Amino acid sequence: MEEELYVVGKRVPRTDSIYKVTGAAEYTADIKLPNMLIAKVLRSPYPHAKIVNIDISKAKRVPGVKAVITGKDGYGVKWGVFKYTQDHMMLPIDKVRYVGEDIAACAAIDEETAQEAIELIKVDYEPLEPVFDPEEAMKDGAPLIHEGYPRNINIHVHIEVGDVDKAFKEAHYVREDKFRAQGEAYAMLEPYACVAYYKNGYLDLWMPNAGPHVRAKALSNLLKIPLNRIRVRHVFIGGAFGGRSEVAPADFIVSLLSIKTERPVKLVMSREENAISSRQVHDVVARIKTGVKKDGTIVARDYEVIYDGGAYSSTGPIAASVPFYVYEECYRMANVRYHGYRVYTNKGIRGMYGCHGRAFLAGCEAQLDLIAKELGLDPIEIRLKNGLRAGEETATGSKIISCGLQETIEEATKKVDFKNKWKKATRLKGVGMGCVAIMCGFPMGFRSGSSCSVKFNDDGQATIITAIVDNGQGNESMAIQIASEVLGIPMEDINIINADTEATSLDPGAYSQAATFVGANAVKRACEDARRQIAEIAREKLSCEIKDIVIKERMVFSRKNPENKIPISWIVREAFLRGKPIIGVGSYFPNIDLKREWVSKPFGQMAGSFSYGTSVAELTVDENTGKIKVHKFIAAHDCGRPINPMAVEGQLEGGIMQAGIAAIMEGNIWHNGFLMNPDLLEYKIPTAKDMPDIETVLVTTMDPEGPFGAKEGGLTIRMSAYSAIASAFYNATGRLFKELPLTPDKVLELLQTEEG
Amino acid sequence: MILPKLDYKKAKSLEEAIEYFEKSNGEAAYFAGGTDLIPRIKLRLRTPSLVIDLKGIEEMVGIKKTDEMYVIGANTTIFELKNSEIIRENLPTLYEACAQTSCEVLQMRGTIGGNILQDTRCLFYNKSLTWRRAKGFCYKMGGNVCHATGGKNVCYANYSSDLATALLSLGSKLVIVGKDGQRKCDFEEILTGKPEKPFNLRQGEIVKEIIIPGGKRQGAFEKIRIRGSIDYPLINGAFTMDSKGGKLVVGAIGSKPCVYSVETIEEERVKILSETVFNDLKPVNNTVVSPVYRKKMGKVIAIKLIEKTKKGA
Amino acid sequence: MRNRKISFTVNNEKVTLHVRPYETLLETLRERLLLTGAKEACGLGSCGACTVIVNRKPVRSCLILTLEVEDAIIETIEGLKKNGNLHPLQKAFMEKGAVQCGFCTPGMIMTAKSLLDRNSRPNRSEIIEAISSNLCRCTGYKKIIEAVEDVCSKE
Repeated sequence: MEEELYVVGKRVPRTDSIYKVTGAAEYTADIKLPNMLIAKVLRSPYPHAKIVNIDISKAKRVPGVKAVITGKDGYGVKWGVFKYTQDHMMLPIDKVRYVGEDIAACAAIDEETAQEAIELIKVDYEPLEPVFDPEEAMKDGAPLIHEGYPRNINIHVHIEVGDVDKAFKEAHYVREDKFRAQGEAYAMLEPYACVAYYKNGYLDLWMPNAGPHVRAKALSNLLKIPLNRIRVRHVFIGGAFGGRSEVAPADFIVSLLSIKTERPVKLVMSREENAISSRQVHDVVARIKTGVKKDGTIVARDYEVIYDGGAYSSTGPIAASVPFYVYEECYRMANVRYHGYRVYTNKGIRGMYGCHGRAFLAGCEAQLDLIAKELGLDPIEIRLKNGLRAGEETATGSKIISCGLQETIEEATKKVDFKNKWKKATRLKGVGMGCVAIMCGFPMGFRSGSSCSVKFNDDGQATIITAIVDNGQGNESMAIQIASEVLGIPMEDINIINADTEATSLDPGAYSQAATFVGANAVKRACEDARRQIAEIAREKLSCEIKDIVIKERMVFSRKNPENKIPISWIVREAFLRGKPIIGVGSYFPNIDLKREWVSKPFGQMAGSFSYGTSVAELTVDENTGKIKVHKFIAAHDCGRPINPMAVEGQLEGGIMQAGIAAIMEGNIWHNGFLMNPDLLEYKIPTAKDMPDIETVLVTTMDPEGPFGAKEGGLTIRMSAYSAIASAFYNATGRLFKELPLTPDKVLELLQTEEG
Repeated sequence: MILPKLDYKKAKSLEEAIEYFEKSNGEAAYFAGGTDLIPRIKLRLRTPSLVIDLKGIEEMVGIKKTDEMYVIGANTTIFELKNSEIIRENLPTLYEACAQTSCEVLQMRGTIGGNILQDTRCLFYNKSLTWRRAKGFCYKMGGNVCHATGGKNVCYANYSSDLATALLSLGSKLVIVGKDGQRKCDFEEILTGKPEKPFNLRQGEIVKEIIIPGGKRQGAFEKIRIRGSIDYPLINGAFTMDSKGGKLVVGAIGSKPCVYSVETIEEERVKILSETVFNDLKPVNNTVVSPVYRKKMGKVIAIKLIEKTKKGA
Repeated sequence: MRNRKISFTVNNEKVTLHVRPYETLLETLRERLLLTGAKEACGLGSCGACTVIVNRKPVRSCLILTLEVEDAIIETIEGLKKNGNLHPLQKAFMEKGAVQCGFCTPGMIMTAKSLLDRNSRPNRSEIIEAISSNLCRCTGYKKIIEAVEDVCSKE
C-alpha cells in the first residue's frame, strides 16, 4: 500500500509567489549597487558587412563615460555550445552577420550619457551580400556567412532507421506535404538584462538564466578568467521558455565593461533590443512524407526539416533535432529517415524554444488526421495504434519506463465527445488533437546529473542547497515541497539557496526539462540522507526500530507509539552536540547513454524518462473574415505524478496560450533582415480575451524513477497545442495548413483552395 | 526607455495652452492622454521641445446632449464615452468604436480628441530611431522612399483611429480653437489624405470639442484585428443611418477613411456599394496581414455593417 | 533642463522630489523611490507591466510624465499590504496559482484592484475585459481570472 503523502500532490501556494505579489521580488533590472554604471550597446545596421574601422574616440570623451569597448577588447574567443559549433565572438571583429548584432558598448554614469556616447561611435562598414531565406542560403553560390560551413549548413542531423524506401514501396497509402511556420518570439515579459561586478579579480553576475553553471563556464572561456572567479548569482527571472539557456552577448559585454572600470555595470535591453538582439525562434520548413498500411499502421516516414538558424549556431545541434525526437518518443517508427538542416542566414540568433518546431509537429499531426480519414479511421484510433507504450523502445533506442499517452488521448478526447464531433464536423467547425512526448533531460555529459545538500539549523528548520533554477515555472517551490515531504517539516520551515554557482553544485538547468526528474530527485535523495541521520538519533531516544520512525509536523515518533513525540529540533541539537550536525547530501544521475551525440551518434538512451501529452482543440472558422475562434481547449499531460497540481496546470494553461492560441496569432515578420514586429504591439501575445474555455487533465503514471513518481511538468502541451489547432482546422475546413500562424489572411487564402 | 529632453507645461485654459504654443516657436506638442504621443516621442518620431498638457482645461471635458446635437469635449476619455448612457443609448456606432479601442486601461487615459488626432501608423515607421536609421529614413521620416512599396516620395501609412471612423459616419463637426479664435468645420475637412501629414490644422490649433448631429442614430461599427484587445485596426468600418439615409465609412487603410452616402439599403444596392468599397481601398503591405486581405475585408465589413444596422433598427 | 519640484502621495506617504520634466512616473518610482514592483516590459504602453493606480485610475506609468501627478494619490503594488496583511487579491493570486514568473504580476494585480475599486462584484466577462489590458506570457490567464473571481465571491 502506498504511503500517505502530506505535501506532495497538494495544491500549495508557491513559495516564491509572496515575493511576486508584493513587488519584493528582485529581477535583474531592479538591482541597484553603489557606484553602478549603465551600459548601452551599439548595434549593426547591416545584415551582412565587413567591419572596416570603429572609431570610439569621440564617445570616450563624453563626460560621464567610463569605458568604451569593441571586439578588440575581447579575447578573440568564439563561443559555441559544442566544440564543433564555436562560431560566435559576442563582439565581432571581422564582420557583422545580422541587423542588431553587438558592435561596441559603453558604460557611463547614467542611461542618457551612455546613449549619447553610443551615438558618437563611428563605424565604417563594407556591406556584403546578405542571404535571408534558408533554402536560398543552401544553394550553391549563396553568400557564405561563416567560413567552413559550405552551403551555410550549420548543422545536418541525419537519422535513418529500418529500410525506409522499401517500406514506402510496400505502403498502402503515401502522403507528402510541405509545411512552414514563422519563428516565434519568446516574448518573456522581462527584457534581457545583466549586472556584472568585477572586483579584486572576481566577477559577480546577475542575469535571467536557465542554468547558472553553464553560463559561468561560457563566460570563463570567453573572458579567460578561471571558473572559480566567476559567480552567477540567484535572481528572480521573468520567464525563459528556452530563450535564456545560453550565454548572451550582453553577459560578455557587461562583464568586460565591469572588468575595465572595476565598477558594477548594468545593461537593460529595451523590448526592441530584446527581440532583435537576444534570441529568437527558428522559422521552419518541413517536408513530411508518411506511408501507412491499410489498418493505419505507419510503416514509413521521411522527413526533411530546414531550420532558419540566423547568424550563429547557438544551440544548433539540439535545435535541429528536438522536434524529431519529441515525435519519435511518442510514436512507433520502424522505418524512418530524418534530415534536419540548421542553416545560417543573416538574421538574429535563433535558440531553443519551449514550443520549438511547430511546422514539423503540427504538420505531422494534421497530416495524420488526413491519413486517418483516407483510411476510414479517426484521429484517436490512428494515434492509439501507432503510439508507444511503456516497455517499448523508440526508433533511436530510448527505452520507455512509463507512458501515459493512451490515457492522455482518452481523457482529453472524452471531454469533448471527440469521436462524434470529428466525424460530424459541420462546415467550418472542427475538433482536432495533437500528441507528443518530452524527454526529461538529455545527454549533457557530466552536467546531466544534479546534486543537493540540506542542512538543519538549530531550531529544526532546514536549508536546501541546489542548482535548480526557477524561470517562473515554480521549480524552487517544487524542490521545497519535496524536501518538506521527506523531512516532515512544513514548507515554511525550509529555505532554499539555489541557482548560485558559488553555493551550489552542477545541474542540467531548467532548459533541459530535467528540473523535476533530475534536480528534484537529487533534492529528495539529500533529504532522505538527512532524514536517515535524524532517524538514527531518534531510534535511540524512542527505543524503536529505524523503519518505524515517522517525522511529521516537526515531530519525530515511532509509528508503534505515536503518543511519544520528540520535536525535530531536539534531535537536531543532539546532532550538533555529538559533533555530527544533520547535513544530508544526495545526487541523481539519470540513465542516459553518454555516448549519444546529436550529430555523430544520434542513437542510445536519450533521457531517464519521458512525459506524454495530448492537446485537443475545438474551433470555428469565420468564412467571411477568415478569423479562427478557439472555443475549447483540453490539455492532458502525463507528468508521472504532479508534485503541485496547481503548478502543473499552470504550465499546461500557459502552453495552450503560447503554442495553441499562438498558432493563430504569433509569428515574427521579416523584411530584408529587419524584424518588423520587435515589440509587444505588433507581435501578438494573446490577451485574456483571446483565450478559450480551458480544461486540464493530469494523468498519473507513477514513474518508477522520478521523485515520488514525477516527470517533467507540462512541456508536452507547449509542443502539441499547435498540432491540435492545425488538426482542428483540417477537420473544420478539409484543408491542411500551409504556414503558421493561421492569421485570417492565410485562412481566407486556404479556404479558396481545393480541399485535401 | 527614456524620453529625450523636453519641457512640460500644464495649461489651465485654452488661451494659456495656445499662448504656451506660440512661445515655443512651433516646437511644442499638445498633450492629452499621451497614449499616442508619448510612445512616438520615445521612439523619436516626434521631438517636441515642450509638451503642453491639456488635461487641466475643464471646458474640454464632458458630454452634453441637446435635441440638435451632442457636444463632446475633446478631453473626454474613451472610457467615459463608453460608459456614458447618452452615448450607449443614442450613438451605438460610437459606443462600439470606443469599446473596441485598445484596452480598458488605455481607454481610461486616451481621449477622444487625442484619438482622432493620432498620427498615421506603418509597420516600417512606428519603430525606434535605431531601427529606422538602420533601415534608412522613409518618406514620412524625411527620406524619399516608401519601404512598404518601394515607391518614391509616397507614403501609405494608415490612420488607425476607430473613433474617427465612427465619428465620420455620424457626420461630426469639430470646434477648433487657435490664436485667431474659434472655427467650426466638418471633421472630414481636416483630413488631408496625405499620410505623411494627415491633418489640416493650422499651427497651434486645438480641437476643443466634437459635435455630433442630434437624435437617436442607428448604426454599427466593425473592426478587424488579430487580438481581442490592445490592437489597432487592420481595417475598420462604421455605418450610421437615420431618416435621411445613411453614411458608410471604411477606415484604417491609408490616411483618410472612405466615406459613402447610402440612400437605400436594399440588398442589390448594398452589393454594388460593397464592390465600390473594394475597388476604392488601396492597402499596401504595411500591417501584419496581407493587403489583399484588408481590401477584401472592406467589402465584408460594408455588408456586415448594413445588415447589422438593419437588424438593430 | 532643470529638475522641477513636485509633491504627491505614494502608498499613503507624501513625497516631494525634484524630477526631470521628461521623466516618466515609472522612472521616478523605480529609480528615485526604489519602488521596483512596477516593471518596464515594453516601455510603450502595450503590455501593462508598469501599471499603477493614480487617483483611483489604473495607468501605464511608462506613458505618464511625473510632473503630471502633482498632488495625486498614487498606489503601487508595494502599498497593497496593510498592517502586515496581504490584500485579498495578493492572497488570491498566491492561493489560486495565478503567479508564475511574476513579471506581469504587480501590473496585473493593480489593474484588477482598480476594477474592484470601481465595481466590487464584476462578472467574469467584466474581469476578462479589465485584465485584457495586461499581457501575461506564462499563465494563459485562467488562474488570474479565477483569482479575481475568488476575491469577488468572498467580498
